[in-house]
Amino acid sequence: MIVVEGLTKKYGSTVAVDDLSFSVQPGVVTGFLGPNGSGKSTTMRCMIGLDRMQSGRALFDGKNYADLKQPLREVGTLLDAGNAHAGRSARNHLRWMAVSNGLSPKRIDEVLAIVGLQDVARKRVGEFSLGMKQRLGLASVLLGDPRVVILDEPANGLDPEGIRWIREMLKHLASEGRAVLVSSHLLSEMALIADELVVIGKGRLIEQCTVDQFISRHARKWVVVRSPQLGTLVDVARAKGMQVATNDTTAEFHGVASEIIGELAAANGVVLHELSTQTGSLEDAFLEVTASSVEYHGRTEVSS
Amino acid sequence: MIAVVRSEWIKLRSVRSNVSTAIVAVAIPLLITLLSVAFMGETSIDDSTLSDFVLGTGSIAVLLIGVIGVLCITQEYSQGTIRLTLAATPGRTKVYAGKALLMVIFGAALTGFIILVSLVVGSLILESRDVPGPHASMSAGLLAMVLMGALVALLGMAIGTLTRNPPSAITTLVLWPLLVEGIVGGLLSIAVDDDVRRWMPFQSGFNSMFPELPDNGFTRWESLGYFAAWVLVVTVLAERRLKRRDA
Repeated sequence: MIVVEGLTKKYGSTVAVDDLSFSVQPGVVTGFLGPNGSGKSTTMRCMIGLDRMQSGRALFDGKNYADLKQPLREVGTLLDAGNAHAGRSARNHLRWMAVSNGLSPKRIDEVLAIVGLQDVARKRVGEFSLGMKQRLGLASVLLGDPRVVILDEPANGLDPEGIRWIREMLKHLASEGRAVLVSSHLLSEMALIADELVVIGKGRLIEQCTVDQFISRHARKWVVVRSPQLGTLVDVARAKGMQVATNDTTAEFHGVASEIIGELAAANGVVLHELSTQTGSLEDAFLEVTASSVEYHGRTEVSS
Repeated sequence: MIAVVRSEWIKLRSVRSNVSTAIVAVAIPLLITLLSVAFMGETSIDDSTLSDFVLGTGSIAVLLIGVIGVLCITQEYSQGTIRLTLAATPGRTKVYAGKALLMVIFGAALTGFIILVSLVVGSLILESRDVPGPHASMSAGLLAMVLMGALVALLGMAIGTLTRNPPSAITTLVLWPLLVEGIVGGLLSIAVDDDVRRWMPFQSGFNSMFPELPDNGFTRWESLGYFAAWVLVVTVLAERRLKRRDA
């Protein structure tokens, strides 16, 4: 289990992470979400002591990372797949890490097989694609068979097959009782991978809850209606002040429950072929919540 | 600590550029020595000629070894592996001490290897030329050269830790003795009566490897000790920098 309490990190006068507290439970995948520049990577670096935090602490099963005798056996971290010497072979990359934490050389072959790199173990990392580097990074995470796994954007550079593989791998790791914290900007992926969410913006905690809770609290909901007498229903609804958007065959009712629309249709003798409540995606909920925390905004039009 | 040293040793020898730098560090002084004894006039050769030639290549040998010291830390920054290193061993003093210990052993061993091969092969060349021996003899200067190899490797690592950048660290390591000390020492010599060159750290260290010591009031071991004190100061600064800086 990971417990982060009051973590604050400043760069000069800029506050990158501001009194951030959250926890990561064993047995579930916890997604770490936030817009670019919100402090996710900084938080992860501070958690394992790479960056010095001004205040706060991060505990792994009750211990500071710095107090772990052989940290790779307790916490596996992948912050950047590019952090491997281009001139060193994959096997030697894992070897120095294994030796530093007293891990068996046999384990190197095991993790290379798990990530599917056994055939290129002697190849230099500089010849690897980004996807292969991600796999090597994951091999280094698994090296010490840790109970806590921290991954920063592990799906970066992976092809669809690789993304599916990492999704299943993370779920498998969590199912073995490990605490898994993973950040990703691929929100559709996160919706499939994560059970819990820690959402931050401008270095502050916005919310920690389950994915379902987050979507139901923040995503837009609307009711879709299909009817041969659609025009009648829409006119009646608008007369009552409801917000309705229509196209040729369906109408979308916003800010009103499906029960009320059903009753309204019955009262006016309107036959319904469809009456369904739709909910926005995790992406919708995320954009809604973090709209005020986004540091850089772009425009979609490209010509003036 | 042993685990850190072993891990660092794997890092050092598993990268081709480190191995090729080590080969160059051995080959250049070795070639200079062997070519010198092969082509020197027979009448000028005496018992100490071979070891004098080895000592004559001492400064270039130890500077090349210093480059390996630079690479052992700067490539961690240029390749981003410093984060993995510090994640694997969170104690930064332990990481620095492990690397430093490896550099001391490696620097001394490589210098010792250069001396040994130079003496053995140089003797064979002289014997093949029918020059009467003995040719190979150990001297205090050669021992000082071994210690200089260790110290300059350590200094290279310290400079590399401070700059984090291979080109600037190598430039500093090479320009410091060859240019800065030459200019500063030269200018101060004009202004001051005292032989100020003995206070130049590298010059003092190089003096300890001279077959005949310059008459500047320092013994061989005082010269070496003075250089070692400088190395210690830069090492302490570098270790503190590594401890305080975000990785």
